[in-house]
Formats: sequence, C-alpha cells, structure tokens
Amino acid sequence: MTARGTPSRFLQSVLHNGVGRYVCQLKRISLVFSKKGQGSLGVRDFIEEGVVDFAKNNPGTVIYISPQSCRIPKIVAEYLNGNVKEEMVTNKTSQQIAELITKMSDQSGLDIIRIRKPFHTDSPSIQGQWHPFTNRPPSIEPVGQQKK
Amino acid sequence: MAACRALVSRAVLPLHYHHVSRGVMLTHVREKKRWMKAYTFIMERKRKMEGPPPPKPRSQFPNFDYHAEVEAFSARLQESFSLDLLKTAFVSSCYLRSEEERRRALGLDSEMTALNLKDNGELSVYGQQFTKGFLGDWCRGSFHSLPEEGVAAVVGHLTGSEVMCHVARKLAVEELTMSAEFPVPDDTLQGTFFAVIGALEQSSGPVSAGLFIRDFLVTQLIGKDLFDMWRVVDPMGLLVKELTRKSLALPEPRLIRSAGASTVLPLYFVGLYSDRKLLAQGPGETVLAAEEEAARVALRKLYGFTEDRRPWDFTAHTGQLQKPSTQALASG
Repeated sequence: MTARGTPSRFLQSVLHNGVGRYVCQLKRISLVFSKKGQGSLGVRDFIEEGVVDFAKNNPGTVIYISPQSCRIPKIVAEYLNGNVKEEMVTNKTSQQIAELITKMSDQSGLDIIRIRKPFHTDSPSIQGQWHPFTNRPPSIEPVGQQKK
Repeated sequence: MAACRALVSRAVLPLHYHHVSRGVMLTHVREKKRWMKAYTFIMERKRKMEGPPPPKPRSQFPNFDYHAEVEAFSARLQESFSLDLLKTAFVSSCYLRSEEERRRALGLDSEMTALNLKDNGELSVYGQQFTKGFLGDWCRGSFHSLPEEGVAAVVGHLTGSEVMCHVARKLAVEELTMSAEFPVPDDTLQGTFFAVIGALEQSSGPVSAGLFIRDFLVTQLIGKDLFDMWRVVDPMGLLVKELTRKSLALPEPRLIRSAGASTVLPLYFVGLYSDRKLLAQGPGETVLAAEEEAARVALRKLYGFTEDRRPWDFTAHTGQLQKPSTQALASG
C-alpha cells in the first residue's frame, strides 16, 4: 500500500501536555499472567524483582497484578485519552518486560500510525497567507471602480 | 438420534434429559459441536437486533481499585490533594440521590445503610468562584486593555462546559466521578471538575490551584482567536468607542486595494486610518466585509491579542510565586 493510503496523523500531544506541566499519560497497567505457565516465567520474575521499583518511580500509574490461568501472558496499558494497548509477553525475560513497561509509560497513548511531518505548528506562516498584493507597493492611482 | 442417545449415555445423565435441553448443556462430550453453528447464529442475530450494549463505567470492569485510582490521580497531576476532600469532590449529588433510592428499593432501612458521603455541591461552587476569579485576574494581567466584556467572554469560554469537559475527560476525571448516569452528563462532569479545583485550593492553597488552572485550562487558549470566543456583532462601533476613550482620532476607512471586482472572486482591502496613520488593513469579498475585518484586526492589535504575539510563559515555577499575584503568572 502506498504511503497515501495508510492512516496518518499530525504530530500532536494530548491536552498540550508539557506546555504547562508534564503529566504521565499511562494511567493504569495490568499484568495478566499464569501462576504455573512456562511462558509467564519472565512476568513472574518481573513481579518479584522490578514491579515495586516501577510503582515507586511512577506514582501516577496504578498497577494491577492479576494471576489467571492463561497461556499467553500480556500487559494491558490504559492511557489517559482512553486508548487501551495490549502487549503479549510470552517467553520474555524480566529485563525485556521492564524495558517494555518503561516504553509504555513514556508513550502518549495516541495511535501509532504514520506521522505526516516530524514537526507541527498551529500557525504555518508568520507573515500570513499569500494574497495577490503580498509584497506589492501600494498603488498611487485611485483604487476600485471609478465613475466616468 | 443415535448420536444423541450415545451422548446421553456417555454423559451419564437421566434418561429424559435430551427431551428437555439439547445443546449447550452437553458440551462436556468430545464430539463435533453441531449445535454451535445454530447457537452462534442466533446470538449474532440477537446482537444485531438489540444493537451494541450500553456503555459501562470503567469501575464495573475488573482491575479497578477506587482508592488507588484517586491516589494516582493526585500523584499524576503532581499535586498534593487531601484525599478526603478529593474523594468528596468526586461524589455528585445525583449519585447520592440515586444510591439512596436504590437502597430504599432494595428494602434496606435508612439508618442501617446510611451513606456516609458528602456531595460536592459546596466544593463545586467554591471551585467555580475561585476559577472564575483567577481566570479574570489572569486575563486582566495578560491583556491590559481588554474591556470587561472581553474578559468575561474569555473566562466564559474557558469555564464553559465544552472546554471543561474536554480537559476533565483527558485527565481521567470522568471515570472517577460518581454519577447516577453513565456516560457522565456534561454539567455533572463540569461541576465535578470545579469541585476538584476547589478541593485543590482548600488542600494546598491558592498558589498551586492557580498553577493548576494555568497549566490545564489556560493552555486551551493556545491557537484560539479572540473573536471565536467573543462574539462582537459591530466591531466598528467597538473600535470607535475604544478610540474615543483613548482620545485618538476616529478611524477612517479607505479602500486601498482591489482585484477582480467583476469576477466571482472579488477581493478588496480596506485600510483604517486614524489621524493619517494606518491602524490596520483587512481583506474581504465585499467592501463592507473588508471594513469589518479591518476593524477586527485593529481591535486585536489594540488588545494585544494578535496572532503573532509573544507566547505565554508557562515555565514559572512554584518557588518563584510567593504570593498568589496573577501578575507574576502572566507574562504579558
């Protein structure tokens, strides 16, 4: 598919985040894993080693640990703008999961699609939009329709 | 039929079972599930007829701990709320009413099951007063020559239900709000957000509440035009009034440029001169529209609300703001 056919958006942030103060956009994260499953070994390790540190460093994120009998452990991240992202973490190590969660908490939760330009401005032109009289010296003759 | 009998005998069920229920109950047996297709078909048709289910609040789904969520809300915004006040701020009066009615309908006596909750009515009124006062002071500090109607219009835009609900939804106020209905109606959400601001003011003082408003509400002004928020029907009359107040010469409109007058896309430029000096010029498709546009441009210049104004400075830290003077918050 060509670039024009793919979904795209402009570079933006939620609620002008960072203009006033920075608000971490990740509001809730749930670790869904199995207590016995082989694929959840890394998640269990991460819960033992890293999750308390992560929670201490990110007090604005609520972390839920939900052990279930599931084959595919996953991380469900919910963002302030309402988006929900699921990541499968089968057979990942504790280190990889810590990196993944840090990445998720750095993201804004906006859709990850093609960004049209790496910059954006609300006022694209400082001198204003071009019109037929831009950079023209003012006319000396009378302007408009004249009476004959 | 033979298969059915075999199923029944294998599942060790009473003999009459297959007359009563066929299908779902027999799933324990390892067979080709021939009932599945009809079942999914019926469920699909039912879903199609009924439409999508009504939205449910996040608190009714698994993994939602209200206390932890409220604490995280406070930490996320880097504010130190008093948690009792913040929890009170999220309880709307309609929720209290509906909850009491629900308990009465369940037949519980009112003394046993009294709700130990206060609603956010007072906090909301308090927060609304504080927000309006702060925003008004901020506007007067940033735009010295903006008249009172303009200040009221800007404050009304920022505290209006549209902007407040937009901000509140993006700060996860909506899912913490206790409301009778879901999705939370706009006025309830707006009142709750006012109550949150009121709770912040009462728990950590007017300075941090002011910074909160500056960071989350004033940023919504970025990229906004003055006359989108303030409906001025007769900009020329307002300009005349402003110039007479400043004892300047009255504006004199002159057609300064025109093009394509006989086409479907005519363009006129009208310049406003006051005492032989060009105040502003504005384009338009007719001479009258151009004159009005020129008056608006002149007003924007007078009030300092032009598009190319210096952006506001949002970097002032809490430490630098000793007194809640809004002059210090405003950068002009």
